[in-house]
Amino acid sequence: MFKDLDPLLHSQLRLAVISLLVSVKNAEFTYLKEQTKATAGNLSVQLQKLKEADYIEIEKSFKDNYPQTLCKITKTGLKAFEEYVKILKHYINP
Amino acid sequence: MEEKEINPAESFDIIKSMIDKAKNKLADDGFLIIFWGWLVFISALINYACILFSINAGYYVWPVLMPLGGVVSFIYGMSQRKKERVKTYIDTYLGYSWSAFIIAMFVTLIFMPVHGVKITYFFLMLLYGMATLVSGGLLNFKPLIIGSLFSFAGAIISIFLESEQLLLCIAAALLFCYIIPGHLLRLQYKSQVNV
Repeated sequence: MFKDLDPLLHSQLRLAVISLLVSVKNAEFTYLKEQTKATAGNLSVQLQKLKEADYIEIEKSFKDNYPQTLCKITKTGLKAFEEYVKILKHYINP
Repeated sequence: MEEKEINPAESFDIIKSMIDKAKNKLADDGFLIIFWGWLVFISALINYACILFSINAGYYVWPVLMPLGGVVSFIYGMSQRKKERVKTYIDTYLGYSWSAFIIAMFVTLIFMPVHGVKITYFFLMLLYGMATLVSGGLLNFKPLIIGSLFSFAGAIISIFLESEQLLLCIAAALLFCYIIPGHLLRLQYKSQVNV
């Protein structure tokens, strides 16, 4: 594990999810699954971890009688992402 | 995508590829721009033809076709909302920009009896140009940006025209401001979907 890098973000799938959510206002679970090519089970677990850290908000609702899971990055998540990128730069250009 | 140890270079690649994926999503399929472009274009030409052939009913094309357009747009908007799986900030800004346009257009049309046809058409073309320029800028789509200039030019030219010529002026402005850029936007959207 790389020193100082947020372990929560320093994971392939969680980092991909946060990077997607940084760029959009909100995204459905199915969109995140499609873009990251992750399995539904793995994605659910990783989203839950990000939610517990208050990095993302998850809103469950119904859309045309189908369950819908909407994800959105929080201010804490955005700050953590910015910090992660800042530290990452030091590793690339020490 | 699985869970595995990644190095900083891989982290950068993940961030870049994900941001690119979201960024490259073209937010507008051009349907409403094309639809309203053709609807108003055809309405203006029908009205012009009626004046040309001394048919009094020409004006009634507007109160019939415009509300019909409103209903089609509402149904289309609802169906799009159902399909939408991701909402970008551009989607939000586009929504606000077109809402502002619709409100301003209604206010302009309501006061048409006070200001007269000429000033109303002048403001309508300015509003078409403004909304299209903002959309073109947000979508980073040059044909819309260039097209908007035709509508601004149409507004200026309309000052020097008389009533029936105004209809041809607004039709020409819509052809270059909505119809042509709208079809180009749709082509780009479809090519993106088919990738």
